[in-house]
Amino acid sequence: MDFSNLTATQCVNQFASGEVTATALVQSCLHQIQQNDPSLNSFIRTSDSALPIAQALDIKRAAGKPLGPLAGLPIAIKDGICTAGLKTTAGSRMLEEFVPVDDATTVKRLVEADAIVIGKTNMDEFAMGSSTEHSHFGISKNPWNHQYVPGGSSGGSASCVAAGLTPASIGSDTGGSIRQPASFCGVTGLKPTYGRVSRFGLIAFASSLDQIGPMARSAEDCALITSVISGHDPKDSTSAKNDIPDFLATLNQPLKGLRIGICKQHFEEGLDSEINDSVKAAIQVLKNLGAVITEISMPHTPYAVAAYYVIAPCEASSNLARFDGVRYTHRTEGVKDLAEMYCQTRAEGFGNEVKKRIMLGTYALSSGYYDAYYLKASKVRRMIKQDYDTAFESVDLILGPTTPTPAFQIGEHSQNPLAMYLADIYTVSANLSGVPAISIPCGISNRGLPIGLQLQARSFDEATLLQTAHQFQMETDWHTRRPNQ
Amino acid sequence: MNAATTQEQRQSISEDDVTIIIGLEVHVQLDTKSKLFCGCSTEFGAPPNTQTCVVCTGAPGSLPVINQQALRLSIKTGLALNCEIARFTKWDRKNYFYPDLPKGYQISQFDKPICGLGYLDLFDQRDKSKTRRVVLERAHLEEDAGKSIHDESKQGGNSRIDLNRTGTPLLEIVTQPDMRSAAEARAFLNELKLILTYLEVSDCNMQQGNLRCDGNINLHIRVDGQQIATPIVEIKNMNSFRAAERALDYEAVRQLELWKQNGLTISDAPKQTRGWDAATQTTTLQREKEASADYRYFPDPDLIAVTLSEEEIDSIRSEIDRLPAQWREELIGQHGLKPYDADVMVGQGRGVIDYFLNVAEGCGNSKMAANWIGQEVLRFLNESEATIESYPITSTQMTELLTRVVGGELDQTRAKEVLEQMIEFQLEVQSAMDKLGIKPVDNQEIEALCQQLINENPQVIEQIKGGNAKAVGALIGKARKLNPNASPGLVKNTILKMVGG
Amino acid sequence: MSDSIDRETVEQVARLACIDLPASRVDETAKQLAEILEYVGQLEQVSLPDDVEPFFGATESVNAIRKDELSPSVARPDILSNAPDSDGEFYQVPPVF
Ligand SMILES: [Zn+2]
Repeated sequence: MDFSNLTATQCVNQFASGEVTATALVQSCLHQIQQNDPSLNSFIRTSDSALPIAQALDIKRAAGKPLGPLAGLPIAIKDGICTAGLKTTAGSRMLEEFVPVDDATTVKRLVEADAIVIGKTNMDEFAMGSSTEHSHFGISKNPWNHQYVPGGSSGGSASCVAAGLTPASIGSDTGGSIRQPASFCGVTGLKPTYGRVSRFGLIAFASSLDQIGPMARSAEDCALITSVISGHDPKDSTSAKNDIPDFLATLNQPLKGLRIGICKQHFEEGLDSEINDSVKAAIQVLKNLGAVITEISMPHTPYAVAAYYVIAPCEASSNLARFDGVRYTHRTEGVKDLAEMYCQTRAEGFGNEVKKRIMLGTYALSSGYYDAYYLKASKVRRMIKQDYDTAFESVDLILGPTTPTPAFQIGEHSQNPLAMYLADIYTVSANLSGVPAISIPCGISNRGLPIGLQLQARSFDEATLLQTAHQFQMETDWHTRRPNQ
Repeated sequence: MNAATTQEQRQSISEDDVTIIIGLEVHVQLDTKSKLFCGCSTEFGAPPNTQTCVVCTGAPGSLPVINQQALRLSIKTGLALNCEIARFTKWDRKNYFYPDLPKGYQISQFDKPICGLGYLDLFDQRDKSKTRRVVLERAHLEEDAGKSIHDESKQGGNSRIDLNRTGTPLLEIVTQPDMRSAAEARAFLNELKLILTYLEVSDCNMQQGNLRCDGNINLHIRVDGQQIATPIVEIKNMNSFRAAERALDYEAVRQLELWKQNGLTISDAPKQTRGWDAATQTTTLQREKEASADYRYFPDPDLIAVTLSEEEIDSIRSEIDRLPAQWREELIGQHGLKPYDADVMVGQGRGVIDYFLNVAEGCGNSKMAANWIGQEVLRFLNESEATIESYPITSTQMTELLTRVVGGELDQTRAKEVLEQMIEFQLEVQSAMDKLGIKPVDNQEIEALCQQLINENPQVIEQIKGGNAKAVGALIGKARKLNPNASPGLVKNTILKMVGG
Repeated sequence: MSDSIDRETVEQVARLACIDLPASRVDETAKQLAEILEYVGQLEQVSLPDDVEPFFGATESVNAIRKDELSPSVARPDILSNAPDSDGEFYQVPPVF
């Protein structure tokens, strides 16, 4: 049977009611992957234990034992998130053979909720990229058009959900790495508040920006998964102790009186006109639902990408220093001494984009440049955060496009990396300030590529994001559109 | 300052023109059960790589969480060293590559150390009635690195890496360049170690690397009214206090000789790092502090700041018992010890002081207790390399023994014999006395004994009668032979009385 | 801030980052880095209030601390299993000098 159009919520409900077995769901996913992934390349590997776990789950249900909130849900995990006993590469040759000892806290929580890890998805190496063209394991394709990128860095996680290979996936978002691919592939992707989801087991790109989140076919599915993966983790010092509201309970509340701000800086030059039109149409939908729309200004928005491209490489240059060929990784053999082993291993194990960013960060932190780059960027980051604080005094949500353009073609930006970096122009601010943000489908371009709408909320107010997104999805069917395979 | 000098000027320098400038950096391993950022044990001596986990080996995806006890012990140390305690402290990464540094950076503290300015007062090494103050720049918490075991055969074999020690909490205490001799540096280290031991914040076991120190040294030289500073040298690998003293002494001489030859000053040459070679008793060049040592410090985004309230700091302060300096004062002021004796006793640690206080109070004579502990007990401990905790005579037993001395029942010489018996045969005081045949001698016996001595030693008696009371001393030894239990004091007094002197 | 970056600086940065950079790639790398540095150079234009505090982390909460308690270490064979070279007891690396 073909379950490829089921949402995560439907999978869980149908499994619980006995309409479908976990085994059948997993087999269906594996079949879809086998059929379609050779051309998409959204997975780096599938898990051999998915089927046995599904079978055990079927027995558990048959025996009437209590089931977890995600029981029966096959879920794909970005390969930058550790899975115990299952290779975790972060898309890098450096970690080609790395088998984690522990599950990431997120994976542990998913497994404890009886979700089934189906496999590991492709990504830009160490999450550095916006196209999933920079993986040691090949380029991932956009299921809507294989000439186009799925976005990145969580491109595999977006692509596999859009293509119906799996109902949901987990991504990570450092500057837009969940939302941008979600928007390119026509799925719903949530970057929770910084600290909401434990980073333990997430292979760090930029620790102060990284956040794990769900990618799925609806806001409701994202709410379901976010409920499971959220919450304080004593193993992550930056994880928040805030209570976790019942995200599902508030989904159906009306939007009447909700104050939505439209940030004028999100509609300036560089925005594709089709996206502009789709977002404006979406605003009308929300207005009709009772939302109050006002224009706001966030004056430091234009500097967000610049601040991001200082801060993220600085942190990365240090986070990636551990990959030295001693404990975890690829090592270049036949060297004369330690220094040569280090330098050769790192030259060989990292791809060009990663090396470039490590060098950039190394430079920006080095003696004499720290103040001008890292410190200045961190001060601008403060201003960006203050823009948010000010905005949220008068509005509950900030609405705008997720990306300035729909998906670009594979190779289109290979000679112009800055153009690629600007694909993050609307998304990086949420990472810099820590606020939660969601991307939901809101249109299809003339070329047949999805368009995404971004909503941002106050820190720890994912509930309002999910509620608004859900209400929008009750009124529209963009999120149900699937690529023609 | 640092003007060029001529060969002639340099050769004419006398010792009085040279001031030695020394600053120290001391790494103290804090005595926590678990490591600074993970739950692995800090126990010394485990088989290699058996006390590691994903966090302390820097596995991809792992994250650090700070150990509360390490914070508390740091604050305790800071308070004892009169440091300002930060109300806000944070963590920074010090980036460099080395195989025993798993993450490629060390988590340390850069601009907001947990302890700020403080000081430590020392006896002036030239005049112990005075003190000298060493100002402490700061003390910060950081994680230790692992151990690299290099191939000593020089055949180019692999190095082996043990990460058991990685992540062990270290407090790095940095002094200002306030010490003026190698002996003073050693005195500083001794006093610091004593304080750390009294605080029970560290084992201070140098063999196990619990206390490590590096020194910065240069010379200020007065030449024809102007002052010249020689290039600063950092000395590493000083793995005992004695080694530190020797290395600094050696280096002071070397720098002076070198300067006399080449005249180079601090502005002419970069800071050097030299290692102390115990085998040759020299320092050898390790590396010039070149520009490439660029640690790229920045705030660790995996950790969040720590704030400390007055209440927390006060609660830690209340855990601090008296420190060595306070004990010295108390032993001198309250118990009448001589400064030297008080210093010796305090230097032995809290256990000896407690022992002394018990005995002094029990026998009612502090001076006697101090003498006995200073001589008998400490000599025994030194000879047998034992600690007070393993000393065979309890303070109760010692009290009983000395009470009998105070009461006149035993003289000091006899009491020492009793003590020897007690130690050798594990006896109580009374049993040891019985074994030695010591029993009370009544007055009649004493008088009879004295009469006998008077009868047998007419020359001595003549001298006494002639006004030389001291001559009685010659009879004391004879009295002992006749009756070992006779108290020499009593014998002396009785004879004098009987002779009518 | 400088938008250009010379060969020497690129070589120094590569050394600091421990990444072997063949001489033939230095110019290209310099160009790539300069391009980004030029873009981020716009930060220079941002005027800031004098008292603005840098924002280093997306959380400003404090005091995540743990009790000084032991938790089990990872078994040595497991921890060494990802190492490219070990003798079962130690990690092995090429000689330092
Ligand atoms: Zn550990």
